[in-house]
Amino acid sequence: MDYFYHILIICLIYSIFAQSLNLELGFTGLYNFGHIAFFGIGAYTSALLSLNGVPIPLAVVGAITLAGIAGALLAIPTLRLSGDYFGIATLVFAEMIHLIFLNERDITRGPMGLPNIPRPDWIGSGISSLPLFLAVTFFAATITFILLRRITNSPYGRSLKVIREDEFVAQALGKNTSLIKTKAIVVGSVLAGLAGVIWAHYITYISPADFTLQETILVLLCVVLGGKGTHPGPVVGAFVIIFFAEFIRFIPIPSEYVRFVAPLQGMVYGFILVIMMLKRPQGLISESRKFATTNA
Amino acid sequence: MTSYYAQLLVNGIIAGSIYAMFAVGLAMVYGVFKFINFSHGELITWGAYLTWMFSSSPFSLPVYISVVPALLITVGIGLAQDRFVYRPLRQSNPIAILIASIGLSYMLRNGIRLCWGSDLQTVDLPLSTGILLSGIYITKIQILMVLSALLFFSILYFLLTCTLLGKSLRAVSDNIELSAIMGINMTKVTWTIWVLASVFAGTGGILLALDTSLDPMMGMNSLIKAFAAVLLGGAGNVWGALIGGLFIGIAENISVAFISPDYKDFISYGLIFLLLLFKPRGFFGIAGGVR
Repeated sequence: MDYFYHILIICLIYSIFAQSLNLELGFTGLYNFGHIAFFGIGAYTSALLSLNGVPIPLAVVGAITLAGIAGALLAIPTLRLSGDYFGIATLVFAEMIHLIFLNERDITRGPMGLPNIPRPDWIGSGISSLPLFLAVTFFAATITFILLRRITNSPYGRSLKVIREDEFVAQALGKNTSLIKTKAIVVGSVLAGLAGVIWAHYITYISPADFTLQETILVLLCVVLGGKGTHPGPVVGAFVIIFFAEFIRFIPIPSEYVRFVAPLQGMVYGFILVIMMLKRPQGLISESRKFATTNA
Repeated sequence: MTSYYAQLLVNGIIAGSIYAMFAVGLAMVYGVFKFINFSHGELITWGAYLTWMFSSSPFSLPVYISVVPALLITVGIGLAQDRFVYRPLRQSNPIAILIASIGLSYMLRNGIRLCWGSDLQTVDLPLSTGILLSGIYITKIQILMVLSALLFFSILYFLLTCTLLGKSLRAVSDNIELSAIMGINMTKVTWTIWVLASVFAGTGGILLALDTSLDPMMGMNSLIKAFAAVLLGGAGNVWGALIGGLFIGIAENISVAFISPDYKDFISYGLIFLLLLFKPRGFFGIAGGVR
């Protein structure tokens, strides 16, 4: 049962992360391939602040604020770029953040990572804290879900979709497209930072190796598999992917073959991404286009 | 002190000639199909690993012979990428191709880890002994790297300017629809592009592996440098890619004199940002001429 709680917590953290990417990739059509950077900024900031004696609630607020600021700083210059160039810029941004985590040893302890990240006293630590931590994570995931639902169903959300379909049309309709996109990135980064914060305080140990392209691919897979541009899509995707990853652990594999498991898993993830794009680019849950067709 | 900088410059030219070979394929694919091929880096890695495989037991071929089957298989992978993934996606939206190419790259990279593990590997070669040329240390492999890059780019120049195939390549990268209307054989052009991209990437990967070592991430790391080179030269421009690659290589190695080597990669990353901001079409992007 404790193990089940653990899987649920990881699923919910990834669902927050995937939902935040979905706002950018699914609703706005911004190919952010460096989303892990904001997850990492959230995790590292909160961990460093709370390790240095800042009260945890304050550290959490500081962390998600910094993630949001980083998002704005990335958005302002890169938003002038079209599609695939934006993809490169974000990918490179994530690599730069990773290098900073790795090399600023005085602050981040480099590849050794940060152990013993504190948790709030009322949650506690150890196995007995799992249900309470699950409740907190569930609360955060629900808030994220409701928030993103409200944002994307609002007039602002509709202008995001217009930008995704045709940015020139949005401009012609008098929308300030770069401001709208910047806001989307800031909200996405704040929520990714939140996911990172929860993750850091849950695992209580972080190192630069946790924030690489690998995780970007994983969260991209959650969004694409579940269905980009839908509300339940990324959540479903996160649950499917995490349960799949955990399920593999229970297959009895002779010890001499264990080293083949991780690469095979990676190949399957890559293969799913390719096949989804070829056969079902809309994902498991496809976006409803009813609104668009009836008014066309 | 002069010899120190001269050494850095030489190192830069060596690294740059390899980056240029990686960048060419990326630039050609972008020029014609208008998408950034994230799985290009994996052609580099596969070329290197296959050579290593054929030159060690059970094959134990000499390195210069094992290059041949390795490159043939790399070209096969390149063509298969196009046949099974990119061609079916050609008419779909750009994000689908981009995500598919990221997925493909991840799949191929994990294929490497599956076959040969994640550890560093090295190719033993007598050529790696160094020689001293008026205060500059250089290995025979490194001389081979620069010479191969020169040879490959000369052949490419000849192909693009003096043959009918090259003319159609240039026409297609200028306007794909119009070229098809004018009766240019698109299948042949597509094949040529993927063969060229795979051969350049594979050879570059092999040379890099001979000079340094092999690891599954080598392709991805080089790919970012190649991106920078392509952006610098202007996307879709072969000669820009050459100059861009050399520039990145030199800038990176000279920077070692001024900043911590840990941040060497920051040069190309920072350059990508600056270029995207101020000169997104590159320095040679609109210059026309041979594309």
